Amino acid sequence: MEVEINGARILATFENVPVLGTVQITQTVTAAWLVMLIISGLCLWLGSGLKVTAISRKQAVAEMIYTSLVKFVRGNMGPEFDRYIPLIGTIFVTSVVSNLISLLGIWSPTADLMTELAWALVVFVLITYHKIKASGILSYLKGFLDPIFILAPINVMSECFTPVSMACRHFGNILSGTVISALIYAALTAASSALFGLLGSSLPVAVVTAAVGVGLGVLGKKGKKKLPFVLGIILTALGALAALTNLGADYPWLTVGIPAIPSLYFDWFSGCIQAFIFCTLTTLFIKQAAGD
Amino acid sequence: MDTLYQSLVTVNPVTLIAMICNLFIQLYILKRFFLDKVKAILDQRRDAADRQIADAEAAKSQAISMKQTYEQNMRQAKAKADELLQSAQKTATARSEEIIRQAQQQATQMRAKASSDIALEKKKAINDAKNEISDLAMAIAGKVVARELTDADQSRLIDSFLDELGDGL
Repeated sequence: MEVEINGARILATFENVPVLGTVQITQTVTAAWLVMLIISGLCLWLGSGLKVTAISRKQAVAEMIYTSLVKFVRGNMGPEFDRYIPLIGTIFVTSVVSNLISLLGIWSPTADLMTELAWALVVFVLITYHKIKASGILSYLKGFLDPIFILAPINVMSECFTPVSMACRHFGNILSGTVISALIYAALTAASSALFGLLGSSLPVAVVTAAVGVGLGVLGKKGKKKLPFVLGIILTALGALAALTNLGADYPWLTVGIPAIPSLYFDWFSGCIQAFIFCTLTTLFIKQAAGD
Repeated sequence: MDTLYQSLVTVNPVTLIAMICNLFIQLYILKRFFLDKVKAILDQRRDAADRQIADAEAAKSQAISMKQTYEQNMRQAKAKADELLQSAQKTATARSEEIIRQAQQQATQMRAKASSDIALEKKKAINDAKNEISDLAMAIAGKVVARELTDADQSRLIDSFLDELGDGL
């Protein structure tokens, strides 16, 4: 079988647009709008009806989110960078929602390098601004000639690779998650068709499997043994599904539920941790740039 | 129509620009509708707490000053009461002494008056006696003049005179 992993779907193409040439509107942008809608809705919901005393559970959550964000930024950068709290919060929440939206079967905007590159470029501008502000434009430029002028191209490259590496780190992790999910899904589809092709080839085989499963399950339950009981349930389920397949409900049954287990790591954990890493790097780079 | 896909890793400037714009729009929305509002509420709460603490401290210092004033007043009142008591005692002592002195004086005066009265009475009595004696002497002289007295009569007269005199003395 063939497994196909594509980039963002192109929704519209405009030829010969002035200045830009060929313009392709992709899924990334529309999915990003959806993400923005979700976040903005959450913001409006959480930010409405706030009171000073006798707060609701919703407000407690809102305040907890706010204080943990402030604590994160201050912990990494100190209190003099409070004006970057909104930016870092935005990047974090957009990243998390974008990463997790793939769980709903929607194209994840962060699976497009351009999304992360956009964030990383904004961060890069801030880093450069702080570097110039901290030491002056001349010494900033002179810094590229350190320790010897021949190394200037390498210095420029290393400067430019800061945003590239930030973007690629995030993008690579999300992409790998997407790729692995696709592979697991394809593998389970193949396994499913093989298994149920075998079991569901004739109705009696399926029924016998289910019956054996039920028997094992009952025995295991009576004898209070876990292994036969679990095995019995699995066999019963397999037999029942094989019977269904034989009767015409042909579906890759193994892809139901099972991909959720690796998705716990590849989507949930990786999605949250990459957002966290991106924001941590943002804070540290800006702090470092301002500190020199 | 076939669905078209981008290649997995590609550079699309339009997407890039759009995502930068999206970031700033999202930034504005998050700041305007969430962060600023929560911040305002937290600031308000902190101000309220600060105000309450300040109020409590003001009330405490006020209470302390009131207590001091009260204690001072109490001390003053006590001092005044002591003073009053002392002066009252002094007055009372002076008054009692005065009364005793007056009584003594009065008694002395009364005694003096009594003794002077007694002396006067005595003098008066003596004067009366003298008058009587002289009257008697006059009477006796009259009687002597009226008839010739015998020796016996004379002695009897003298005796009776002396008796009368003795009674008067």
